[in-house]
Amino acid sequence: MRAIKGILLTCDAAVKQILLIMNEKESFIIEDLDDHHVVIKAEHEWRVRQDLESELEKNTYSVD
Amino acid sequence: MPSVQLNSHSENAEKKHIEHALLPFLQSQSQNTLTRLYQRPSSCLSLFRLLEPVERQIIMSLLWLESAIPQSTMNTWVNREGRKLYDEAIATLGRLNILPTNLTNKLALNTTFKMSFRQALTGGGTSGSFGVPAENDDKSPAQDLESLDSFALERWETILHYMVSSGTEQQPTKPSQGVLYLLQRSGLMSTFQGVLRITSAGFQFLLHSPHDQLWDLLLQYLHLAEERQMDLVEVLGFIFMLSTMELGKEYSTENLSGTQKAMLEDLRDYGLIWQRKPTSRRFSPTRLATTLTSASPPLPTSSGNSSGPQEGFIILETNYRVYAYTDNPLQTAVLNLFVSLKYRFPNLVVGSITRESVRKALANGITADQIISYLMSHAHPQMRKNNPLLPVTVQDQIRLWELERNRLKSQEGYLYTAFASQADYEFVLHYAKELDVVLWENASRRCFFGTLGGHANIKGFIERRAMGSNQ
Repeated sequence: MRAIKGILLTCDAAVKQILLIMNEKESFIIEDLDDHHVVIKAEHEWRVRQDLESELEKNTYSVD
Repeated sequence: MPSVQLNSHSENAEKKHIEHALLPFLQSQSQNTLTRLYQRPSSCLSLFRLLEPVERQIIMSLLWLESAIPQSTMNTWVNREGRKLYDEAIATLGRLNILPTNLTNKLALNTTFKMSFRQALTGGGTSGSFGVPAENDDKSPAQDLESLDSFALERWETILHYMVSSGTEQQPTKPSQGVLYLLQRSGLMSTFQGVLRITSAGFQFLLHSPHDQLWDLLLQYLHLAEERQMDLVEVLGFIFMLSTMELGKEYSTENLSGTQKAMLEDLRDYGLIWQRKPTSRRFSPTRLATTLTSASPPLPTSSGNSSGPQEGFIILETNYRVYAYTDNPLQTAVLNLFVSLKYRFPNLVVGSITRESVRKALANGITADQIISYLMSHAHPQMRKNNPLLPVTVQDQIRLWELERNRLKSQEGYLYTAFASQADYEFVLHYAKELDVVLWENASRRCFFGTLGGHANIKGFIERRAMGSNQ
């Protein structure tokens, strides 16, 4: 048996796909659990959140 | 009939059963403190005004009885629907030490409370707990209502305006040191790189109603008073005294205790009282003070200098446009928290609610519900004709923008995997579930994710088991 320290991310399926693509550039995922859960390395959390934010921001449009 | 009354109240109360912010604080005080507080007729009257209708009803029923009344007699007044409400009211009064806490089968009011409250209603006594009016002085007549109002408003808005514009380039007037200290202690502001900045609690505070804000600050003041070793009964008694005073009258400081005289300065800073000079031996309560325990608005309704109308001033359209009929810099600044402002006219500010402006507010710790409730409570009378009050599209969108920020939820912990056998896995999982630390599990993959807090226990459990099987 093994115990691995990490952070459990709970998200929707779309966000998870983005995470998988981000992982190809720089690996941070420890274990891909299912459609809504992944375990990542704790030290990468802040960066992942930043990157995800800017990725999602590309898909929003404002009227101004 | 009393039972009918209780019932009709229960409908109202269920809709908005919001306890006054002061009550939990009072309930946490010792019996001794409360009894000393109840020696003052003004305190009893003010407290009575803060209670719920049913609680008032119970007190009034018991007030003029000389002996205790059997519970069963009271129970006959209560019908089945009102039962829960009645029990809650009895419990609240018990915690306030107005009724005995250990419920015997007879009900009677706390003797001190009964005597003082009777005195408050019928008059008499020489305690001077409602304040002693100062003698008329022809040379310096009392302030008129208008200047009292504008004084209170100016002091109060200085505090709020200072909060809202901290961290921006604006340099608003600074409130006094005492106020700044209170804001810091209450967590509404905190020092960030040597500069006082508003916190997310502070942002939420700004969207409350003036009455709630006032009591928020006074509660903090009470906590502070405890630390400063001030006598809580004196402090509370004085606040209650102010709340029963008459607006526009001058009162003498002669009868105040040392603690209460020391409070004059603080209360002046908050705009609760007005004094001609700090050494003056008379003071006038402002509208902020006299409305503390009443339902009337704490700030003047007429638009004095630089104050916007207090009843609603915001019009929100389905196209996210906001029209705010105000010339008040404070209201404008508060709006600026979540609206992107476009034009400003002498009596009108125009802006729109955008994704960016709402996200900025959310990042500051303001919630979507707070934005919506602020817009609702300040909606222009014209808007009140609409049902629902705010355009549903805008409400939904604000909530969606909030959800959008929370697409990722993270929890720290340990992933337990590579179990030797299914039985092994189930055994450990069962233990972890009993501790309630499992966040995610998958039987076919034989792994589960436990919280950080549960790791030590699970680790110990597995080690104990490994040792047991080796023997």
